[in-house]
Amino acid sequence: MTSVNLQVNVGGLLMKNPVTVASGTFGYGAEYADYFDVSQLGAVTVKSLSLEPRAGNPPPRIVETPAGMLNAIGLQNVGLDTYLKEKLPYLREQKCVIIANIYGNGPDEYAVLARRLEDAGGADAIEMNLSCPNVHDPQNACGGGLVAQHPDQVARYTEAVKQATRLPVFVKLSPNVTDIVAPARAAEEAGADAVALINTLIGMAIDPETQRPLLSNIVGGLSGPAIRPVAVKMVWDAARALRIPVLGMGGIACTEDAIQFLLAGARAVAVGCASFRRPDAAINIVRGMEAYCRKHKIDDINTLVGAVKV
Amino acid sequence: MAHVRDCEIITHREIAPDHRRMVLHAPEIAVEARAGQFCMLEVREGFCPFLRRPMSIERIFDDSVSILYKIVGQGTRLLAGLQTGSVLNVQGPLGNGFPIPAEEVRAILVGGGIGVAPLPGLAETLVARTGLAPEVVLAARTEAHLLCEQELSQMGCPVTLATDDGSAGFHGFADKCLRRLEPDADTVVYSCGPTVMMRAVHTVCVEAGARCYASLEAEMACGDGVCMGCVVETNTEHEFGKMARVCREGPVFDTRDIRWSAYDVR
Repeated sequence: MTSVNLQVNVGGLLMKNPVTVASGTFGYGAEYADYFDVSQLGAVTVKSLSLEPRAGNPPPRIVETPAGMLNAIGLQNVGLDTYLKEKLPYLREQKCVIIANIYGNGPDEYAVLARRLEDAGGADAIEMNLSCPNVHDPQNACGGGLVAQHPDQVARYTEAVKQATRLPVFVKLSPNVTDIVAPARAAEEAGADAVALINTLIGMAIDPETQRPLLSNIVGGLSGPAIRPVAVKMVWDAARALRIPVLGMGGIACTEDAIQFLLAGARAVAVGCASFRRPDAAINIVRGMEAYCRKHKIDDINTLVGAVKV
Repeated sequence: MAHVRDCEIITHREIAPDHRRMVLHAPEIAVEARAGQFCMLEVREGFCPFLRRPMSIERIFDDSVSILYKIVGQGTRLLAGLQTGSVLNVQGPLGNGFPIPAEEVRAILVGGGIGVAPLPGLAETLVARTGLAPEVVLAARTEAHLLCEQELSQMGCPVTLATDDGSAGFHGFADKCLRRLEPDADTVVYSCGPTVMMRAVHTVCVEAGARCYASLEAEMACGDGVCMGCVVETNTEHEFGKMARVCREGPVFDTRDIRWSAYDVR
């Protein structure tokens, strides 16, 4: 066997391999340049961008948990203008494929973000963050909870962004639902090019000594290997129900983890907080995937997608 | 530039009850490290604990660095169980070091408890760069918890001891001890220790008109400025506004930039 094809097409976004990073775990790419050539990833997904800079929540913002962590950062980011001026040039110089994760207050802001990113050449695909558990903006209240918990709202937000841009649009969904298929289908029917799942599971940790929550935000989002089986199952559910691709994530730390997601139906995967532990986790998974394919005599990684034998 | 390397533990010794010094063979890290920077240690393979542990670099040698730590929880207990000769994955050097004055200037270092960790390296750098050994206030709960007195004295530093219980040196807190050394507008003070101590040292320095830097500690996931977990509230704007990352904009801050009142609500 001469070569292994690792290239995938996620809703119109061509990635030279099926590995990106989860928004918020990789900064704007340059932060990890000391450790490896970030352009070798299938794509770099940047920290959630809002129209204006956001200060985030007061500390403490993170708590270590068994095989994972809780975070309540609250989308602290530099804002769209600074991203375009100061962060984007590096990513373009390095010839990175860019997935811009966006967060707006209400569907109109999401649409503006997507349009401005496209106009400025600031993204190759848009990932709509409808599922951050750590922010509380009135326009997104939707009668309680996250936008991603209301399929009708998922459709409304997705339509607004689809009308604003020709870039591939991914909708990032929350695992904090009874049935992941409902919001996933709503996104698909509203024109989404792919769904990304899962965001963090909402959790809480209390200090028994002080008897107070360990996060200033009281609750936060759980990530890490602890949530991986939940994520694999939700990818499996969504992939069987949808025609559009699934970008799978949740607790991926090594090649074998990533392969599970592909087998469950993910077209591509994102490595999240595993990069905190090992900054080169994502690129090692790219290398590991090629080795896996050779070992299993697979010449095209796409043949693994959804190939779980049940 | 930061590296991620498997490093052999060259020595690993108890220096006080529940306090250890570990010397790590880390040539690439040592060559780039500056006093006040830190490393992230992977205390065990697998995912429990999930995160690395940030540790101040104590001293920088030709091909190794030392760290000091206190056994306080799961991570440091596991670290304490590692034998000399075993290998630890180390990421570093990270963060900014202490600002070093260009000319000869009176410097006072104030270390409280395990917070003394980055000060021996700082003292060495000050001696090398300014030709003047800094004065040191070493504070701890009791005499048994005073760390690095011998090392600092050997560097030529006049060391004043302070203990909460009076078992050695000045009977009282570090800030009171610092006040007796009469810092003035031409003095630069560096502190590392409990937040309450660094805040009190800051107050003394503001009254005296002295410059003051503090090395902060925070819950930290990545050490690379990515997770935004380790922020401290500041009075001036940094790259991400007035929530500065301890790992990236710090860990050393001008104490006048720290919004100390934000610690009240924690």
